[in-house]
Amino acid sequence: MTEAIQLLFSQQFLLRALIVGVLVSLCCALLGVSLVLKHFSMIGDGLSHVAFGAMAIACAANIAPIYFALPIVIICAFLLLRISEKGKIKGDAAIALLSTGALALGVMVTSMTTGMNIDIYNYMFGSILTMSSGDVVISTVLSIVVILLYAVFYNEIFAVTFDESFAKATGTKASFYNMLIAALTAVTIVIGMKMMGALLISSLIIFPTVTSMRLCKSFRGVVLCSSLVSVFCFLTGLIFSIGYEAPTGASVVCVNMILLAVFSAVAGVLSSNLSGKTKKALTALLCIVSIGAFGAMLCFGSVLSEKDSGKVSVVATTFAPYDFARQIGGEEAEVTMLLSPGMESHTYEPTPGDIMKIRDCDVFVYGGGESENWVEEILESLDSSVKTVKMMDAVELYEEETAEGMETEIHGDEEEEEETEYDEHVWTSPLNAVKIVRAISEAMIEADEEKAELFEENTERYISELMDLDREFTALFAGGVRTRIIVGDRFPLRYFTERYALDYYAAFPGCSAQTEANPKTIAFLIQKTEEEKIPVVFKVDLSKGSVAYTISEATGAKVDTLYSCHVISSADFDAGETYISLMRRNMSALSAAVS
Amino acid sequence: MSLISCKNVCLKYENTCVVSDLSFEVEAGDYLCIVGENGSGKSTLIKAILGLKETASGHLHMGEGLTGKQIGYLPQQTTAQKDFPASVYEVVLSGCLAGKNGRIFYSSEQKKLARENMEKLDILSMKDRCYRELSGGQQQRVLLARALCATKKMLLLDEPVNGLDPLVTADFYSIIRKLNAEGITVIMVSHDLYAAVNHADHILHLSRGGSFFGTTEDYKKSDIFKMFSGGDMSD
Repeated sequence: MTEAIQLLFSQQFLLRALIVGVLVSLCCALLGVSLVLKHFSMIGDGLSHVAFGAMAIACAANIAPIYFALPIVIICAFLLLRISEKGKIKGDAAIALLSTGALALGVMVTSMTTGMNIDIYNYMFGSILTMSSGDVVISTVLSIVVILLYAVFYNEIFAVTFDESFAKATGTKASFYNMLIAALTAVTIVIGMKMMGALLISSLIIFPTVTSMRLCKSFRGVVLCSSLVSVFCFLTGLIFSIGYEAPTGASVVCVNMILLAVFSAVAGVLSSNLSGKTKKALTALLCIVSIGAFGAMLCFGSVLSEKDSGKVSVVATTFAPYDFARQIGGEEAEVTMLLSPGMESHTYEPTPGDIMKIRDCDVFVYGGGESENWVEEILESLDSSVKTVKMMDAVELYEEETAEGMETEIHGDEEEEEETEYDEHVWTSPLNAVKIVRAISEAMIEADEEKAELFEENTERYISELMDLDREFTALFAGGVRTRIIVGDRFPLRYFTERYALDYYAAFPGCSAQTEANPKTIAFLIQKTEEEKIPVVFKVDLSKGSVAYTISEATGAKVDTLYSCHVISSADFDAGETYISLMRRNMSALSAAVS
Repeated sequence: MSLISCKNVCLKYENTCVVSDLSFEVEAGDYLCIVGENGSGKSTLIKAILGLKETASGHLHMGEGLTGKQIGYLPQQTTAQKDFPASVYEVVLSGCLAGKNGRIFYSSEQKKLARENMEKLDILSMKDRCYRELSGGQQQRVLLARALCATKKMLLLDEPVNGLDPLVTADFYSIIRKLNAEGITVIMVSHDLYAAVNHADHILHLSRGGSFFGTTEDYKKSDIFKMFSGGDMSD
């Protein structure tokens, strides 16, 4: 675990997360006391959903999310407060209305524009790695403002929280302080959301207060104790998440739950009618056990033990380059795939442990496409001697294409200014695979020249296998009667179809995370299947293929699977399948489709 | 001049007139009980006295330098307070809020005042105890000490004996009487008619059909008392 802590302080992006996290935890703990005691806990929860909706809209409109969400959430906070105080709709119902409404709006806007992409996913479950330095500056400033305002108005906030009518009678502007609390809560939620995620941020507000209320007898005690609890839980959760490669937000909440249980147990012992001595002994026992448990968790669970085996270590993001490196290295390379088998590639996000692996490896292979935007950011922050291979640099690129009938993604007015999106699934053509294999091989040889002979031998053998594969595909399509395939799914095989001059119709572009096609798209695909009497429609691997099955039901065509080799199912992975074996599966499936 | 003089006042609650043509006066040192059934406008009148509500018509004047802020108010307890972690000292000290005048912290005089009032009400020994763990009677004493921190002249008590058992209630009334004897003006809202006529020297009976204001002696002879006490006394 010392390694996790060392990593924490050596990596800039983790240090940023640490600073923002501690500040946000403090803000949450302070405000949480008032919200929980005023029975306004749900306001925090409701606001986080509103913030999510606002973030989704901001992402779609290409505005910096934080500046857009901040005013919206503050306005909603005032609105909720007003409705709770004097509206005709009951407070809890009002919150549910506003939060589900905002969530629905966010999902609508998302689905109509960018699709469920990594940014949106991050806002739901939090991501400590996507904090830019700009985010850090604004979060730090805002949280310091929150903490200062809270300190300055501490006595007023206490009075208003404890007894609003009395506070009003003594001339305190209670509604002003209520609004202050609501506004500060809104600010805290917006800045904390990126780290904790919209679905978890409110736990940071509620848990520490409830935990401290078990044991503390004064307001000041609760405020101080929940600040401590909150910061402790954040730090423990962060270190834990680094060590165990777990998501940070969820880890922090789990530590909070454990602490609440411990505090409740101690409170239970103290209020029981046991004798004084037994109480003391039990309390001490509970404390020792829990401290021991935390310590053990932090000390022994580390999965970060790196051993230097003398082999060349290669880290690849996805399955295809993983397999290439494996074929080149044989026994003499230790190859790691970051995307675990069965994992969805377009919503993958690296854990701190993954970054550690990248930092410590000899060769790092990545695609370089849209779904791997995080790579460049991390490579910048790592000043190590890792050799990198970017697959998209090794081949000639095609733009991500929108075929006729395909469900497109509306990008808004600034489409022309947008960068061209290149299709990242470059390895789907065996000839491209050859180029990539050469690039990886060079990097591996550079990393360990003593093994050059072996690696070169393996590379040549493997390339000849790939060339065989290419020849077989060429022969297959030359002998086929059809040149068009229909994919009722996203379409990651652009390079493959270009290589063999195949035409295609598909439901979505290559990187789309959508699985629900609109009726027009499906109707178009059904019509084409019927017109051309196509015998087999395809889905891609790891997809449920709902569109493909709909087409199949309407036309009687069979459904078969095409493997993109982007990711791999755990069953196939365990069975030792390779790029070539999966491509051969594609070959037999395609031969039925084109003959 | 009277501390409070109220002439032909009308008060509205959500656009309906709940108190109309009300007139009464409170002199320094008085012990006034405001009685009346639910919905007769007691809460609205309290707000008006505290300066939190405008009168629809008529004049409500404060005399002798008194303002709404300087009334020691003892509101009814809320459900949120039942589970509120606050020490007795914190609650009492929050009564000094009005005198803080924009400073961030309480001054040492204010802390001294809080201590004196706790001593006066015999709760100094439980200064660090948690408010929610106290008995109902002890909690009322704490809130009374807080009210005393906010005023030198007048206490306004809203149903202060609600939910207290008879012994504690009697105890509480005797504290109020003692404070009144020391020169503090007391206005108490209550629906305990019996206690009202026993303790107060003036009665304001709010009623839709016409309100009564006068000394307790006069009230006891009035028709309105005879009408209401019949029900109340047998309770």
